[in-house]
Formats: sequence, structure tokens, C-alpha cells
Amino acid sequence: MITRDAKTPIAVKLALRELRAGLNGFKVFMACLILGVTAIAAIGSLTRAIQEGLEREGQSILGGDIEVNIYQRESTPESINWFQEQGQMSSSARLRTMARVDGVPSSTLVELRAVDNQYPLYGSFETTPTLDNDTLFSANGNTWGVAIDPLLASKMNVGVGDTLVFGRIKADIRALIDREPDKANLGFQLGPTVMISRDALAQTGLVTTGSLVNFYYKIRLPAGADVDAVREQMKETFPDENWRVRDRGTSAPGLRRFIEQMGMFLTLVGISALVVGGVGVGNAVRGYMDRKTRTIATLKILGADGNTVFATYFIQILLIGSIAIAVGLFAGAFLPGTLAQFLPDTLPVKPEGGVYPLALVLAAIYGLMITVAFAVWPLGKARDLPAVRLFRAIVAPEGRWPRLIYTAVIFGAATVVVLLAVGMSDNRGLAAGFMIGAGAALGLLRVTSWLIEKAAAAAPRPKNALVRMAVANLHRPGAATGAVVISLGLGLTLFAGLALIEGNLGKRLSEQVPSEAPAFFMLDIQPYQVDEFETTAASIDGVQDVVTIPNLRGRVTHLNDIPASDVEVDQEVRWVLRGDRGLSYMRELNKGSALVEGDWWPEDYTGDPEVSMGKEVADGLGLSVGDTITVNVLGRDITARIRSLREINWGTFGFNFVILFDPYTLAQAPHTFMATLKASGKAEQIAHSTITSKYPNITAVRMKEVLSSVNTMVAQIGTAVRATALVAIIAGILVLAGAIAAGFQQRVYESVILKVVGAVRSQILRAYLLEYALIGIVTATIALGLGTLTGWIVVELVMDMEFAFLPMPMIITVTTSLLVTVLFGLGSSFRALSIKPNAVLRTE
Amino acid sequence: MAKPQPIIQLTNVSLTLESGAGPVNILKEINFGIEKGETVGIVGPSGSGKSSLMSLMTGLEQATSGTVNVDGLAFEGANEDDLARHRLSRVGIVMQAFHLIPTMTALENTAVPLELAGVNDAFDQATRELEAVGLAHRMDHYPAQLSGGEQQRVALARALAPQPAILFGDEPTGNLDGKTGRAIIDLIFDLSKSRGSTLILVTHDPALADRCDRVISMSDGRIVDDTGDTQSVSGEGDMMPKATQS
Repeated sequence: MITRDAKTPIAVKLALRELRAGLNGFKVFMACLILGVTAIAAIGSLTRAIQEGLEREGQSILGGDIEVNIYQRESTPESINWFQEQGQMSSSARLRTMARVDGVPSSTLVELRAVDNQYPLYGSFETTPTLDNDTLFSANGNTWGVAIDPLLASKMNVGVGDTLVFGRIKADIRALIDREPDKANLGFQLGPTVMISRDALAQTGLVTTGSLVNFYYKIRLPAGADVDAVREQMKETFPDENWRVRDRGTSAPGLRRFIEQMGMFLTLVGISALVVGGVGVGNAVRGYMDRKTRTIATLKILGADGNTVFATYFIQILLIGSIAIAVGLFAGAFLPGTLAQFLPDTLPVKPEGGVYPLALVLAAIYGLMITVAFAVWPLGKARDLPAVRLFRAIVAPEGRWPRLIYTAVIFGAATVVVLLAVGMSDNRGLAAGFMIGAGAALGLLRVTSWLIEKAAAAAPRPKNALVRMAVANLHRPGAATGAVVISLGLGLTLFAGLALIEGNLGKRLSEQVPSEAPAFFMLDIQPYQVDEFETTAASIDGVQDVVTIPNLRGRVTHLNDIPASDVEVDQEVRWVLRGDRGLSYMRELNKGSALVEGDWWPEDYTGDPEVSMGKEVADGLGLSVGDTITVNVLGRDITARIRSLREINWGTFGFNFVILFDPYTLAQAPHTFMATLKASGKAEQIAHSTITSKYPNITAVRMKEVLSSVNTMVAQIGTAVRATALVAIIAGILVLAGAIAAGFQQRVYESVILKVVGAVRSQILRAYLLEYALIGIVTATIALGLGTLTGWIVVELVMDMEFAFLPMPMIITVTTSLLVTVLFGLGSSFRALSIKPNAVLRTE
Repeated sequence: MAKPQPIIQLTNVSLTLESGAGPVNILKEINFGIEKGETVGIVGPSGSGKSSLMSLMTGLEQATSGTVNVDGLAFEGANEDDLARHRLSRVGIVMQAFHLIPTMTALENTAVPLELAGVNDAFDQATRELEAVGLAHRMDHYPAQLSGGEQQRVALARALAPQPAILFGDEPTGNLDGKTGRAIIDLIFDLSKSRGSTLILVTHDPALADRCDRVISMSDGRIVDDTGDTQSVSGEGDMMPKATQS
């Protein structure tokens, strides 16, 4: 038997014997750990499940093994030949345009996808009714065939058999799309999909020089072919081509990034929940060690040294913690299967249930480190418990701090949590900021709870005995004040902070943005249409602030002649080097930007290529006035000197470009124009119908619709974040319940004595009600204060928006705090009051 | 022939403890020695300092001033772990409240000090100790399943298991009825005598103290009488010497 084997270390034997008493007193300890570990394991597993799904389905999401994306121009016959030599090739194009029902003047923004008969190379393109591509898209006389997103069908109130018009062609709706296998790879869509054939696209007249069209060439390689080798060969064969190439391992990069960042953020919230639970762990261990005082003293009298005592109880805590962590991992591993049902339908893969070892190992480490960080303090103090405790009450006061080694262990465990959270994160700044914020909140809550206890102790005695009792209970030995303020406070701080951030973002999107932002962004205005467009738009009653601007796209290839991929840049501005960026040129500096370095071009500038850059981005890229930046525009590298830096106000909703060229360099390059205009109510409708019917090639993006999509996305993210924050609040409630349960015997004794001296039950209950209401209000006030501070920091300093204090998070925070403390407190008090005084007094 | 070195020697020992109301002088200028194999009863009213004196001799408490030397170890300068290891090998203690570990059986409780000392056949030795106190049939019972007398016998077996040079008893019969208490005392005397252990009993019971070779009487933190000493044992000489030459 291990508990008697001479070879088993004594601390292990003692620990196992002690555990025979069962896990009584460890329910809250276990519940807190299980909850936190489950949340982190579930978030990690779900993230991994989606990521593995994306990897597994990489070919069908990409629509090939390799995809070459070229902007605004088709590939050369030479390169197309090369693509076809590698395997099977399918080409497609994508652009935004306006579609209308034949005979109806109003039109709707759609994403037009033109595919060939090879589409899709992987996965299945499903429609109702089921038709092959040829039957679906081929021309029947002058009318082509299209398949449309059911969303569009309901929006335009059309169905199979109706005819749509876009550009110069008419097309019959022959089917509704059930599944586009490569939809996720396309990223954010402004409108529902309309799918036509490549031949039909050529007839629309929508593709002209400078049109905002993406051309895709997807290659299905022979089985077993090496994707990396083909990509390498592609680079060698076409060294000067500035294509954006993706392969099956890097499909849907936007979605992958989103999933990773969302997973990271939710993990951070989960870690906060675990930290809240850690307070419960610490309380449970402290309570356990208090109950073990006699045993520890006895062991010491029998000759056990401090290390043996520490090891004995540390092993017990680790064993119990391990059981809780294992349960949490088990639940966390299987929860994603359930959570998957709540994921949006737009997710291209359904995550498969399964064990994702890395996610589970990380959750286990977090759980273990939090256990160590919170349990070692009371264990370290118990280690130095004097054996003489068995004999006398008067002993020298115990030190407030355990030995240095234990403080170091606590610090080490906390450091592991922080380093792991930050190290595993793609956005280290955010992760570090979050961890610092959570740590600061924890520290502030601890200090505040201490101040409350001191203030309650120092407060003048209220005349009313029951009020006096309620205030005294806030600072009596073993009071729940500290535990509740810290644990429930941290959960509520997190909730209030996140709710305020989300609320401010929502307010901005639903109130401020519509009043400040233009009603439309008009795209694809041809140079010859600009003057007429401006006149037409301005002549519509109620239309204001018509602004047109040249629109090109280009990719940054070199910074100071060093390839962009070789330059170390700040994480926050990495996006500038990722893919194509919008470019423009201006004669005059637009509203919303201010020159902070260098000077603007003279109106008649005809010199070498120069750019004006956004200061923040230039700083992040390590560039300043006089440096050079090379941008590939329509296949041509243009190296420009930085002439000036601008402070850009992104909140103006005007045209803000990080890179603005001088008015001369790009003027002759083929390009289109974009426009914004303001209009409200009826004028918005009239502007839309007038412009889209007069200029079929111009795409009108309605701001309201974009905002609606963004609002939906923010709401979905908000739901996930709130659900995770709720875990932290539940952990806080568990800690509260544990703290109240720990003081139950004292409460029973107290109520018995009060009854003995003549108090009636309603009086005692009122005193308890007041006590818990005080704790609840204090906790809510602190949580609101810290939550507001967090929200303000993020909204004002990180998001650069105006912060507004919103009533709803405040009401929810205060109500939750009050309800939870009062209900749990009174629940326990009712039970205490129901015990007959004699039953207690007889045992005293 | 040289006088043998005492197994316990206290010289000018005082103990002052801090309390919320200020320092409390628990023991004042204590001087005495105890020879190997002696049986000593320490008596006195509540609060006289007899338990504190035992705490000093067992290393559970450190003297504020003076020197305590027990079986070759000078306590001053020794840390808590040194004292614990000293107890493990040299000292056995039986307490009034038994202080068995509730989660361990009688056998396991008895084996604990042997296991702490790394003894390989700890359970065989513990079994023999329990047999010696007449509890062979109760070895696998938990403390809660044993009577008070049985619990104290387990505590005695546990205290004697490491074969200590000195056995301390702090009111070992205080929680027991008269008959059971007498049986326990008989056991303590018999077993300590048969093993040659020095026995020191702290007790309120004059009859029990009278069974000892020597009685030390305490009052208000001082030794007021010592039947084993011919000299004044109080630092201030305000007590009545009533001792015989040892």
C-alpha cells in the first residue's frame, strides 16, 4: 500500500492519508478551477478545431492548391500557359456592381463572381435546382444565366425565372446558391453573391481599364505535388510579377487571423475568470489550513520539519487541483462540439469534436500555475505555524509574509501565466496590456477591500445596534468582504469594461457614424464621367458634400530599397505591407488631415515621384521625410521620396489614404475615381436611383448596409466576449458562495447569541441584509469605477474615439452585484436563523 | 568520580511573550537540571508556567534569555527545524488532548514519527508499540472510532515508538476518567522505566506527582519547590529551599 510503503516519501504518505477525509471544503476550490480550465480549454479547443478545419478544407476553401490573384488586369497568356502546365486551372473574376430587376429602376449592390466551367476545382458548388455550370450560366439568345445568393432573392423579391440586369447584359436567374465552397477565401463581402460565367462578364462592359476587378487563377496540382516547390518555381519563372499568391495552407487569411485573434482575446478573458477563481482557490486553501492547525502542530511536535509540512499540504492541493484541472480539460475538450452549434453559418467549416492536445496542455498549465500562485501563500504561512499553538493561545504574532522562497514561487507562477498568455498571442501588445490591466485591477481591488475593512473599523459607531453590527461584520475576522470585493469585483470589472467598450462601439456605429458619415461611397467612376457625375449628384435636392478622388491600388514592395518582407516593422502597422493598399493623389490637402512634417506640393508639381504618408504608419515602418518607398501600381514599381507626413483623423469618414502620391506621377496611370456624398431620407433614395440608373457601371455602396453588416459582426463578437466574461462573474459568485459558507458557523453562533439576548429574527435579518447590501454596493461601485477606467482607456486611447458613459452596463453591474451578494448572503442567513439556539448552546 | 552530565539543563531561563496587551513574563530565571533516567513531576496551579516550561524543554518554544540544553543540544541558536529533528530522535510527548491525526489509523498515527525518521520497518515497530500498550486489536481504527483511553494509549505508543531518551507528559490523564487515567499512568511509568527513558510529567494531580522521583513545584512563572535540589532554584531567592542532595 502506497500510504505505508517505506519507499514512498513521507510527505506523499501523509498527504494521501490526509485526503482520506474527502474533498469536503474543496467544493468551491474545485468548482473555480473546473470553470476556469473548462473555459480556457474549450476556447482553445474550439479555436484549434476551426483552424484545423480550415487547414483540412484548405483546398476547397481556396478552390485549388494554389491561387494567383491579380488586381485590375488579367494574367498574360504566357503565365496562363504556365499555370495550365502545372495542373488543372480555373480562372474567375470578382467585382462589386449594381444589379437590378429587369424593368425596375432601383438597383442593389452585389458581389459579381464570374467563373468558368472548371469551377470549382475542389469542393462542391451547390445550387437549387442542381445544374451543371454550362446549363447554369450559358447564353440563351441574348440572355445569360446566373445563380444568386438566396439573400439577394429575398432582398430584391425575385426567384428562379426572373431576369436581372447588370452592366450591359440581362441574365435569367436559373438557380439559388446553396454553397460556394471558396466563399471564406473572399473575405468581407459588401453585397450578396451573383455568379455568372466569364463569357458573360466580358459582355457586361463593367471591366474596363482601372475597374476594381480581381482576377483569380486557381491551380489543382497533381496528387502528391509539392506546393512549396511549385510556388518557388513560380517565383523564379515570373520574378517581376507582383501577384498575390495563396496556397491551400494559407487560404482565407482574414478569417484565420480573425479566428486566431478572437481565440486569443477570449483566452485572455478566460484567464481572468481563472484568476477570479484563483481567489476562491486561495480562500479554500486558507480555510483548509486553518482547520489543519492542530494536525500541523502535532506533526511538528512529532518532529516534522517545515518543509515536510509544506510538502504534505502542497501535494494535497496539487492532487485536488489536478483532479479539478482534469475534469475541466475533459469538459473543455468536449464542449466545442456543443458550442459549434452557436457559430455563425458563415463559418466555412464546422469544427469537429476531438482532442486538441496543445489547447488542453495550455489550459492545464494555466490551471496549475493559478493554483500554485494562489495556494502557496496560505501554505507558506502554515509551514511556519508554531507547534506550540497546541498549548497556548498567546504566541508571538505571526509574520504577514511567508518565507521569501514562497513569495518567489508565487511570483514565478504568475510570471509563467503572463509570459505564456503574451507569448502565445499574435498581438503581444494587446495581450500584455490585458494582463497588466487585469493585474492592476486585482491589486486595486485588494487595496480597496483592505481600505474598506479599515474604514469600517475606524468608522464612528452608529447608534442603531443593527447598523453597528452590519458595519462591524465588514471588518470582523473572517469577514467575506475581501474575498467578495476581489473576486466578484474582478468579474464585474471585466464585464463592465467590456460592456462599455462594446456599447461605445455600438453607439458610435449606430448613432454618430450615420450622422457624420456619407450616405454613399460611389466606386468605379470612369475619368470621363467625373465632371458629369459631380454635376448630376450636386443637382439632386438634399445631396451635399460631393467629393471625388482618384482611386488606385498598389502594393508596397520596398522601404528604402530594402524588400518590405525583410524589414522589421511594428506589429500595429504590418497591415500596410500586407496585400494591396488604396492609393490616391490630391492637389490640395483634404479635410481631416494635417501636415506635421515636410510640405505640400505646389499646384504645378511635375518632378520625381513623391508621397505624403500618414505619420503613425510612417513611424511604425521606421520611415521619415526623405526616405523612399516603392509601390507596385498595375505591375510597375514606382519608387517615391517621402515629402511630407500627415496626421490622419480616421473618424472623419472621408477619403483617408495612408499613401498619397504627388498630383503628377499617377495622373496618367489608368484609374477610376471614387466619390462620397451626403444625403438623407428621400434624397438618399433619389440619389441612389438617379446615379445607378444613369451610370450602370458605377457601384453605390450604401453606408447603412455596411454599418448593418459591421453591427451584426460586432454583436456576434460581443456575444462571445460576454459569454466568456460571464464565466468570470460565475467564478466570482462561486468565491462569494464559498466565503459565505466559510463564515456559516460563525453566523449561526452570532444569530443564536443575538436571539438569546432578545433580538427577533426580522431584526437580525435586517442587519444581515444591510451588511450584504453594503458589500454589494461597495463591490459594484469599485467594479464600475475600474470598468469605466478600463473602458475609457480602450475607447479613448486605443480606439481613439470619444468615450460615453452608458447607463445599461452600470445598471447591470450594480444589479448583479447587489442581487448576488444579498441573495447568497440572505440564503445563508436564513439557514443560520432557522437553527434553534438550544441546539447550538448545548454543544458549547 | 565525576558527576554525570544532566540530560536536561536550564540555566537562568526566562520566557516573555508578546500579546495584544503587551509583553507577558511567563517564566522567570529558571535554573535546574534533570539526570538521565529520573522521573520528574512538574506541578503548580493553572498559569504557573509549567506547560511553558515543558514547551521550552521540548523545543516548542525558545527561551527569551538563558540557556536550555537537552540531551546534548543547546537550544539557543537552533532553528525550528533543528528542534523538530531533535524531538524526532530524542523526545516523546504525550498530551492531554491526545492530538492524534484524525485521518490516520492508530497504526499510522503511531508510525508517523518513525516514518519521519526514515525507519524502514516503521509499521512493524509501530505494531509492536501498539501491542505494548494493549491495542493490538485496534490498529486499523481511526481516532474517532477509539475511546479516550484508547486514543491516549495510541498517543503513548506514538511518543515511545522512536525510543526517545526523554518522555514528556502534559496532563496525560486530564481528559480521562479516574480508572482509565490510572491505567494510562501505570503504562507510562512501566514503559518509560523498562526503556530507561527520562520521564517528565506536567500535572495538577499531587498523587501522580508523588509517584515521581522528584517534584518541581511552580507558581507565577518561578520554581517554588524542587524536591531534587538543595540549592535555590529561583533567580531571586524568594522561595523556600526544600531539597535533598541529588
